Amino acid sequence: MTRQAFMVRLMEGLRGLPPTVQAEIIADYNNHFNEAAAAGRNEADVATGLGDPGRLARELRAEAGLKRWEEQRSASSGASAIFAVLGLGAIDILVLLPILMGIGSAIFGIGVAVIALFFVGGVIFAAGPFTGLPGGPAAAILAGIGLMTGAASLGAVLSIVTVGLVNGLVWYGRLHFQLLKPALEPQSVGGLQ
Amino acid sequence: MPEAIEIQLKKGALELCVLALLSQHDSYAYEIASQLSDSIGMGEGTIYPLMRRLQTDRLVETYLVESPSGPSRKYYRLTDAGKTSFTSQKSAWNSFAGAVETILGGAK
Repeated sequence: MTRQAFMVRLMEGLRGLPPTVQAEIIADYNNHFNEAAAAGRNEADVATGLGDPGRLARELRAEAGLKRWEEQRSASSGASAIFAVLGLGAIDILVLLPILMGIGSAIFGIGVAVIALFFVGGVIFAAGPFTGLPGGPAAAILAGIGLMTGAASLGAVLSIVTVGLVNGLVWYGRLHFQLLKPALEPQSVGGLQ
Repeated sequence: MPEAIEIQLKKGALELCVLALLSQHDSYAYEIASQLSDSIGMGEGTIYPLMRRLQTDRLVETYLVESPSGPSRKYYRLTDAGKTSFTSQKSAWNSFAGAVETILGGAK
């Protein structure tokens, strides 16, 4: 493989990552080729020695996805971390997908219920005093506040559980990827996978 | 499949080797890659994802040094956390390798 072919395949694999991260990675591998050329090595040998660019790109993507998740706990960074780990082939997607969908929809359902509970609390708080509920206006206001704060704390617990689940999945994927799916390839063999 | 076992062993040892090299002196990726590929025969490209991971885990940090020929080089050095991690990984490796060695020695 020529240097250009290697870099093209690497760039294809990195598409979708933040531009600064892509630029850093590209610069790293360009430097590698430059250093090797300065040492008098043949370009094709250097490309072979580096290994499969598609595989390297997957590993680099996974690393970038995990880093983003560690820096910023959001739904999108969590999803990208999960997909990056899946992209490594560390976790069998056929086994994982039904479990993920089950857990995901359970979390979604509980989330919707929590939001609904919050609104019910709000309605009781605002409208309760004027509808003559048993116990009088004060009881209605207190019940409304109680429902809203209860919903808020359930929501907080739910997000802690979700973050924990994604962390666990990422940890598992990383561990197994390192142990079972090495990107190392003996230099004599073009591709072992 | 002995090949797969060999690769797994190398992959597991790679991080430890990189930390060990950096504990002796700061270095740049090409130098690390060529030293390791010479001695343990790994794909050189693997060093870059590993260096990024070590950076994410804050075990190494980088600085730029002007190179006599061409553009400046990105050097890696161990952070304090990196030194601590190296020490503990090294002792874990030594006790593991010692145990395996004992068992292997017993099997003629």
